[in-house]
Amino acid sequence: MKLSSIFDADSFRRRRLAYACAAGIVVLALVETANALLAPLRAPADRDWRAATAAIRAGFQPGDLIVTAPDWADPLMRMHLGDLIPLAVAGRLDAARFGRIWEIAQRGARAPETEGGHVAQSGRHGALTLRRYERAAARVSFDFVAEWSRATVSRVGLGGQVNWCSPLPDRFECPELPSQSVKPELLEIDTSPHLALSTQPAGQATTVIEFDRVPLGRELAVGAGLHNVWLRKSGKGTVSLRVLVQGRELGRIEAGSLTGWTLRKFDTSALAGQSQSVRFEITVDDPTSRTLGFAAEART
Amino acid sequence: MAGADQIAQAPRRWWERRWIVPLALALATSGWMLAVEGRQGLARDEAQYFRAGERYWGWFETLGEAVRAGKPGRAFARATVDGFWGDNHEHPPLMKTLYGLSWRLFHRCDCAGPKRGLHPIAVHGKHRTLPLFARESTAFRFPAILLAGLGVALVYGFARRFVGPWAAAGAAVLSVAQPHYFFHAQISCFDAPIAVMALLVALAYWKSLRSPRWGILCGVFYGFALATKHNAWLIPCFLLVHYLWIRRNDFRWEPSKGSQTLPRWCAAGGAGGLPTRRFLRLRPPRVPLAFLSMASLGPIVLFALWPWLWHAPVARTREWVQRHTQHEHYNFEYLGQNWNLPPSPKQTGQWLLRATFPFVSTAFTVPVTTLALAAAGTVVLARRRRKSEASDEPSLVNSEPPEPGARASWLRPGADVDLAPGIFLAVQILGPLGILALPSTPIFGGVKHFLPAMPFLAMVAGVGLAWITRQATSLVRPSRLRQALPAALVVLLCLPAVTETQRSHPDGLGHYNLLAGGFAGGASLGMNRQFWGYSVLPLLPWITAHRPPSNHIYWHDVLHDALIMYARDGRLPVAIGDVGVGEPLVAQADLGVVILEKHFAVYEYLHWESYQTTRPAQVYAHEGVPFVVVYQRAALPPRQEPLPP
Repeated sequence: MKLSSIFDADSFRRRRLAYACAAGIVVLALVETANALLAPLRAPADRDWRAATAAIRAGFQPGDLIVTAPDWADPLMRMHLGDLIPLAVAGRLDAARFGRIWEIAQRGARAPETEGGHVAQSGRHGALTLRRYERAAARVSFDFVAEWSRATVSRVGLGGQVNWCSPLPDRFECPELPSQSVKPELLEIDTSPHLALSTQPAGQATTVIEFDRVPLGRELAVGAGLHNVWLRKSGKGTVSLRVLVQGRELGRIEAGSLTGWTLRKFDTSALAGQSQSVRFEITVDDPTSRTLGFAAEART
Repeated sequence: MAGADQIAQAPRRWWERRWIVPLALALATSGWMLAVEGRQGLARDEAQYFRAGERYWGWFETLGEAVRAGKPGRAFARATVDGFWGDNHEHPPLMKTLYGLSWRLFHRCDCAGPKRGLHPIAVHGKHRTLPLFARESTAFRFPAILLAGLGVALVYGFARRFVGPWAAAGAAVLSVAQPHYFFHAQISCFDAPIAVMALLVALAYWKSLRSPRWGILCGVFYGFALATKHNAWLIPCFLLVHYLWIRRNDFRWEPSKGSQTLPRWCAAGGAGGLPTRRFLRLRPPRVPLAFLSMASLGPIVLFALWPWLWHAPVARTREWVQRHTQHEHYNFEYLGQNWNLPPSPKQTGQWLLRATFPFVSTAFTVPVTTLALAAAGTVVLARRRRKSEASDEPSLVNSEPPEPGARASWLRPGADVDLAPGIFLAVQILGPLGILALPSTPIFGGVKHFLPAMPFLAMVAGVGLAWITRQATSLVRPSRLRQALPAALVVLLCLPAVTETQRSHPDGLGHYNLLAGGFAGGASLGMNRQFWGYSVLPLLPWITAHRPPSNHIYWHDVLHDALIMYARDGRLPVAIGDVGVGEPLVAQADLGVVILEKHFAVYEYLHWESYQTTRPAQVYAHEGVPFVVVYQRAALPPRQEPLPP
């Protein structure tokens, strides 16, 4: 049978563009149908997770970090490996202190935590790719959240009067602060977990958290943001966190409802090796529904 | 117009009758939904409407008792009316009343046993029913499912005014074969029903342009729409834009009464002293019957259907309007951001987020082939506008040309003009999307808020289908092939939408299309995955099996009303524990559910802290994308498998 007996060649020549568009839509329909049928089969199966998990458990060392790429797979990873991810690791300031990072990836994604690392181990487990990255880890000379009980906390009024907060086993109690306490807590900041020192800043006053004899390194990493999605939604004020070393301001972080988790690294190389006082001063223009969380590490 | 081969011929056999195809489409749609709805969990709002629907039914029971007692006035006393109809009065009652009625008629009653106390109204004994459905929730959902079928039939009927039967049938299928629409169409909520009502009103308006009978019906249907959901307020606005377009030549400047001496500076070209001119005023077209009917019959029908308004119509109507015009901003994930605050003028990015949301969401949620067909249909309709001769666009049929010599009147306002289907469809699609893009509209999120656009989008896609089938049939010579091609192409081009919809079930809210990359692609783009806490259903057997000895369970966004209905359906024990809602209650539970939405992260971290673990005992995932996690205090050995959908 000749093709010309089936197709009208004249019509085809006259309306090539229209036919091409129509054919394109038909091809699209075929591709979309095939994708709808096949895509579910390409999702990682439970056996893929089990295999990747077994590989990690075989090589895991204390201090390793385990992440997923994309990050939305994190709950599945934690179902398999959550016992290797304590709260302090899940709520980390950032990933700088981790020298070995296990990444369970899919769909060609890469976790931002692995930046700067080289692949030391790699393997495929069905739809999952397991890689172990290694890199030089930042050495933390002082973790301000872990060492929270070494701080002194006070509230300084506009006239300069100082009210000291009482240290208790789990917090500082400050009767004149809205929440009456400063304490280490796992917070939700920018819809991510952060183990941080939390405080509700007071209006018309400065909350001062000061650490003496902090062994400084080359940088001081400080992260801050506002806790709790509902409070961020209902409050309007901006909280200011001022960072001072030995009385000299290194910088500030402004935390508002939309600023998320702000991480800044201040250069302290001129003070490396010295033990100095580090002071955090917290003020707010409108304290309604504001809970600040901040974490900091002195790093060499 | 041409396309005479596509215009319906006089029916010769029973299966060629006009109502057969729409009826078959409606039955197939409702059958599809009834076959799968049991896998879809109970949505938070839906559970409240179950409760309200049953309460509304309770009023009818009371009315019956009052009539039997010879004192019907008792049922109309304010306290009695408010006692039943005050529940969930922020939404009008039509669908809830139908849900309650359907439940009363069709549930399989074991109401007199241990579940008696789970009802919001007194149960005096075993109900006599026609027990069509094993689960009570299905009986509640039945009217919504029937209405979804009606919607598909209406799309067919409406699309037949523009295209042939195969393309119209394709449009009808594409209107329901959209994962997000399908999700909403099978549950006892209002979002798909109001889309159907908007379609019904639009169809009545369209027909009213040539028929006064439909002008009156338009008002009645508008009343039904008002009694379904407040989206109905906007329907006349969109119809008005179309009406003004088709009657645009009626606008004229007319001299006003009296004349005015104009100042010299605005009297251009005046000769011989100070010129005088008459002021002109813009004379709009006449108000047609459909709008008068909507303005008068609409509120009357609403009032008749809504007993809560009866004793204080003005104050309560005001309360209803204010509730929705001063609505709070919801939390909603869009492009990786949790979006819950209105943009300030300085925040360009936030403005852009707002303005793009409905359009980007449509582009990522409607099956891509449907979008491509709609694009083709848009070109066809746009080209039609420019044609002076109707026969120039053979893909379209035109069963409603202007009547020769006809004169327009308020009863037949479209008698003498082309009805401009392209403009009509464009306004019905862009109107609902555009409203959501306005900065002044509260942040709602969710495709559900502009679902009324989707049937019309499907109709435009139907025009695209007609165009493609026309191209194909003009290319082939054998007559048998020419006859078979339209059906084959329509089936082929509807297949991706149907397949995607089936794939998405029961998690249609988390489904994204080929452009976005499916479930996983949507999650990577940071698009909303779900809301309403419906997705816990697959975990219920596990939760039941691992119920803690204390029976203290934190259900997060699974509303207590939903738990009650799960128990009434036999999917949870009647005595299942529920510590309640709120952050402080997480610590009181020994088993905790967290629905994974971006703004709910705080509840997961509260579990971590309270249970001292980051390890969930169970995760429900669809195509590898997590939807729900369950935490268990003090470590019973966790199971390793994510539950399949």
